[in-house]
Amino acid sequence: MNNRHLLSAAISSLLALGLTTSTASAADKKMDMEKCFGVAKAGKNDCSSSKSAHSCAGQGTKNNDPADFVAVPKGTCEKLANGTLESK
Amino acid sequence: MATLNDELADFARAIVLRTALSPQINLSYPNYSAEVAIEVYRNNYRGNLHDTLAGAYPVVEQLVGNDFFRLLTHKYIEQQLSANANLHHYGAEMASFIATFEPARELIYLSDVAALEWACHCAYFAEDADSIDLARLAQIPPEQYENLHLYLHPACQLIPSKYPIADIWHAHQPGADSEFHIDLHKGSCNALVSRKENVVCVSELPVAAAEWLLSIQAGIALGAATDAVLESHPDFDLQSLLIKLLHLGMLVDGDRGE
Repeated sequence: MNNRHLLSAAISSLLALGLTTSTASAADKKMDMEKCFGVAKAGKNDCSSSKSAHSCAGQGTKNNDPADFVAVPKGTCEKLANGTLESK
Repeated sequence: MATLNDELADFARAIVLRTALSPQINLSYPNYSAEVAIEVYRNNYRGNLHDTLAGAYPVVEQLVGNDFFRLLTHKYIEQQLSANANLHHYGAEMASFIATFEPARELIYLSDVAALEWACHCAYFAEDADSIDLARLAQIPPEQYENLHLYLHPACQLIPSKYPIADIWHAHQPGADSEFHIDLHKGSCNALVSRKENVVCVSELPVAAAEWLLSIQAGIALGAATDAVLESHPDFDLQSLLIKLLHLGMLVDGDRGE
């Protein structure tokens, strides 16, 4: 198979990485943080969080229906406005 | 005479579908009418589902703004009943809902962003898995590599899009620069969702790597998966991809490993 060398080289590099993992783990961690910043779901598993799926606070009032006329998005999508003129 | 089950079903219909309560249910409250009480309850019901959706779709909320997002979730909640006692399962259909949501029609990328956010949400709650045992891998003779099966972490998901959804996602994370410039037409994107040490990450894969990953996820052996990709992408860099996946913690131990 013509990819045999490619597979060997790729797996070997994994194994080589494994050998240095114990000493390089701190560096790896730093690298990961640089590569993929963004802590999603921070505090999500926390009852007191206002964004929690388990709202303990309740929604005190009898109605907070949105007004139907608010049909225009007004968020950061304005910064991506060059895409809003196209249809799907 | 109404059973408890009938009464609960009747109550649920009144909350969700706004039907009138059965006269058999005791409506005599001293301080406020049953209608008001039902409205308060309904508002709590919808408010909790709204908060659940806001927790799962923070980027979509920032993209469209709070008012529009409230309208979006309001319509979604009307159509999608919570089908599971675990609220973390609520909101799975948001991407397809947005694709048909007329007021968001011009935001052509929004549905894909929602798909990416749902993948992140699922990645956060996905099962743990042990990292690949490199010592065991080292025991395997190189001539058997092509029959090797690699296993990816349950949190690992690929979300392809025609739009730069990974860039959009990163621009809306806490601490990101609020001034961003994203070219919506810079080309397609294969967003890779992963999780390491309880942190969900979004990165990007080249087309060849994305094809390879899907083959591996489908259970195809290393040799066959790599061959197939090399046919259409002769410059496919397996070595970098494996190292990247290892760094991301996405290579895990499989039960059926050879």
